[in-house]
Amino acid sequence: MQLQETIDAAVAEVGTVLLGKEPQIRLALCCLFARGHLLIEDLPGMGKTTLSHALADVLGLSWNRVQFTSDLLPADILGVSVYNRNDATFSFHPGPVFTQLLLADEINRTTPRTQSALLEAMGEGQVTVEGETRPLPDPFFVVATQNPVHQSGTYPLPESQLDRFLMRLELGYPHPQAEREMFLRERSNRGERKPLRQIISQDQLLRIREAVMQVHASDNLVDYLQRLVAYTRNSPEFEVGLSPRGGLALLDCARTWAVMNSRGHIVPEDLQMVLPAVAGHRLVPSGDYAGDGAALVTLLQRNVDVIRP
Amino acid sequence: MKVEQQIPRNALVWIIISLFTLVLPHIERVPHWVLSVYVLSAIWRVMVYRGRWSFPRWPIKLGLIFAAFAGILFSYRSLIGLEPTVALLLAAFAFKLLELKERKDAYVLLFLGYFVILTEFLFSQDLLIVLLCVVNVVLVTTALVALHRPGVDSFSTRPLTKASLMVLQAMPLMLVLFFLFPRIGPLWTVPIKSQQATTGMSEFMTPGDVSQLSRSSEVAFRVEFDGAIPPRSTLYWRGLVMSRLRENTWSALDYYEVPARERRPQEPQFTGVPLRYSVIMAPTQQRWLYSLRYARSTDAGILNAADYRLFRPVIIEDDLLYRVTSWPAAQLEERLSDWRRRTELALPPQANPRVRQLAQSIAADAHDSQEIVDAVLTLFREQPFVYTLQPPLLPQQDPMDAFLFDTRRGFCEHYASVFVIMMRAAGVPARVVAGYQGGEVNPVNRTVIVHQFDAHAWAEVWIQGQGWVRVDPTAAVSPERIELGLEEALAGEGSFLADSPLSPLRYRRIDIINKLRLRYDALTYRWQSWVVGFNADTQLQLLQRWFGEFSARTFAVVILGSWALVLIPVGLVLLLRRKVHKLSKLDRLYLRFCDKLEKRGVTREAGESPSAFASRAQHQLPLMARSIADVTQRYQRLAYAGTDDSDRELDELARAVRKLN
Repeated sequence: MQLQETIDAAVAEVGTVLLGKEPQIRLALCCLFARGHLLIEDLPGMGKTTLSHALADVLGLSWNRVQFTSDLLPADILGVSVYNRNDATFSFHPGPVFTQLLLADEINRTTPRTQSALLEAMGEGQVTVEGETRPLPDPFFVVATQNPVHQSGTYPLPESQLDRFLMRLELGYPHPQAEREMFLRERSNRGERKPLRQIISQDQLLRIREAVMQVHASDNLVDYLQRLVAYTRNSPEFEVGLSPRGGLALLDCARTWAVMNSRGHIVPEDLQMVLPAVAGHRLVPSGDYAGDGAALVTLLQRNVDVIRP
Repeated sequence: MKVEQQIPRNALVWIIISLFTLVLPHIERVPHWVLSVYVLSAIWRVMVYRGRWSFPRWPIKLGLIFAAFAGILFSYRSLIGLEPTVALLLAAFAFKLLELKERKDAYVLLFLGYFVILTEFLFSQDLLIVLLCVVNVVLVTTALVALHRPGVDSFSTRPLTKASLMVLQAMPLMLVLFFLFPRIGPLWTVPIKSQQATTGMSEFMTPGDVSQLSRSSEVAFRVEFDGAIPPRSTLYWRGLVMSRLRENTWSALDYYEVPARERRPQEPQFTGVPLRYSVIMAPTQQRWLYSLRYARSTDAGILNAADYRLFRPVIIEDDLLYRVTSWPAAQLEERLSDWRRRTELALPPQANPRVRQLAQSIAADAHDSQEIVDAVLTLFREQPFVYTLQPPLLPQQDPMDAFLFDTRRGFCEHYASVFVIMMRAAGVPARVVAGYQGGEVNPVNRTVIVHQFDAHAWAEVWIQGQGWVRVDPTAAVSPERIELGLEEALAGEGSFLADSPLSPLRYRRIDIINKLRLRYDALTYRWQSWVVGFNADTQLQLLQRWFGEFSARTFAVVILGSWALVLIPVGLVLLLRRKVHKLSKLDRLYLRFCDKLEKRGVTREAGESPSAFASRAQHQLPLMARSIADVTQRYQRLAYAGTDDSDRELDELARAVRKLN
């Protein structure tokens, strides 16, 4: 199928700048195909920004990049009305949010006030400035990056805001082989970013979305999903379980993942593949539990039976 | 401290509440300082909770323990015995509040609380006490429930509802266990002789050494007749037969004081219709039982003494139920043995010379024993003798002389004693019988309630050809005492129950109080006959009635059956309330496939998806790789892809699974 090849090509294209990170690239694409916003969390210098730029390139989307700092104000993102002396009116100067793909770099370095300015944009695809609601272009994606919360100078995103991100990805250190390759190839070309080719056209993006809508989720699969969700709510290891929205997010991503694997129906592996990225930031371990969100996901995957109730 | 180890505020409140209600039934018995220990401990613990004070350190705790021991020793003059140990337990129970830091301490305290509830039954198994104990069980359970609701900071009664529900749910199990579970005798027992003085009959009778006979309204025993209740004047409940007079004191012969060949009672002549009845008596800390003459009981452990009374070799420490058959008209001991005649004629030499002289002069005029008896009774009837509960004290030297000729005021003991002395002096074998006379008929359940104030003493004389005959000299003096009871006999004196102003018996002229009293008494009777009197023997009888002859096998069946009786409904409820997860046929097929692979050593993990499992299984069982792939593909298609022609594919899957061997 064409779509499959296109997607594989897009993954390969991003892979040329982010070596050895195919699973994360696929998940990131899956998130965007599922019309979700993406949060990339890792230490500085792990390729967060590289990935987000590459995504914008291969999708051929107009993009803006905002570097979040502690003194950034909501108006710096949403835009501001400026008095025009010639015709004596206020004219709106749209902020960087009016784009198809917004790269919000180091989102947790800005104040909660500015963070929340993004909320409406992310949730509803529109912004309200000075009482006037303005629609954002379609598609509209936010790809945010953040440093791990315990780093200094960060304002951790509240759970409500984390929930707006469909997925949270961690990139991690590259494989030694990939890293070696990178060391050999890169020759101090910092600053000169070569844009990648656009692989997926707007039309193809729409078709992917249509295909996602068609994906079949069988009773057996929904049973498994419900068992997963119920486990997070009933087990003592979880302080906060998956919300209904979290469950829906899982199902959406699994659908998309199925399409990316050219299947018309979801199988349990689809759920299991997207589970860490989709559920990891939505689960909160209870006070006694030593592990973090990732450990909870492992627990969930290991303990919830795929077949047996 | 972790949250789940903390004691929630609500639980602390309930613990303190239950602590106080636990000590409530003991309140009359324990010294007052024990109660202040409760108040102080509670205050201390609350102050600890509020952060004002801190938990006591070990030197203080050690001091408190020693103080408690010293207090018990001071209050009771002993550390051994039922009351001191229970008081010590109660004090320690309160002190435990000062160690209540974590949840596990609360467990210790509350489980100890259940034990403290039980200690109350060592003293009383009264119906109201039992109800109070049930309330206590609910309260302790409430504290336990509250302990398991962390973070409840405000006082809440929700645990109470839950605990009541739990206790209610436990009731059927309790009933089954109570009625059916075998009563296993204790492996060891501690003599729990209570220091409480028991009112009622004593082993000795010394007329004249008390001037004020105090009589309580406590119930001595209750009797239920199988047929009609005989007239009150014939109800002479024999307890002790006192054949020996020594230093003005009458006493009964011990079992071993009777020569071996005299120990078995002579078989009496059975005449007349037997009376059948059952008796429930309150604990007396004595060995003798009460019955009408001539009594026989087939209950285990009840023996017949040579003087035709019933006794038990062990002390009666609990409420006791026994069944008796009596032949009131039976002739007892037609032939008197030499030893018996000597015993029943023995009098201390020189004592009471005037009484003996009078008796001998009466005997000289009489032709036979019956005439002597009649003459003495006539003497009592015609001379100005007075029946009173407040007789004057009699001198140590020859008290009966003083009574018969000077004071002439006395109660049953005086009359019985002087009568028997006169009979013996006149050569008629006679003895004093102590027991109860009469009783109150409760119209509610047709039982006879015999109170302590019905205690009585009368005489038996042996007459040739008739055997032992009952003679009640008190009846000659005060016929009302026998016909109508003590209250009427003392109507003029006002001394009836003068010591118990609160006894409801005093107010029985008020109709509603009397009715309530009788109703409650009927309830108590039922309680005692069904619950308190339910021992291993009655249990065996019950089981025999249900299951016929009893063997080890039926016993095992009954035990297992009683467990099943409880566990099957519980299991059913659990089963029905369980969320029903019925496996579809498809999943059953797939799981059968997994079972087959498991037999070959490849076990599916819970979180393993079909395809992941299949690839692992294929790797481990390469020979079956194709059929594994086949089954997995079919299953995945049916389970996830939503095919249309599922029936046919299901059959194919079934065939594929079956083929797998």
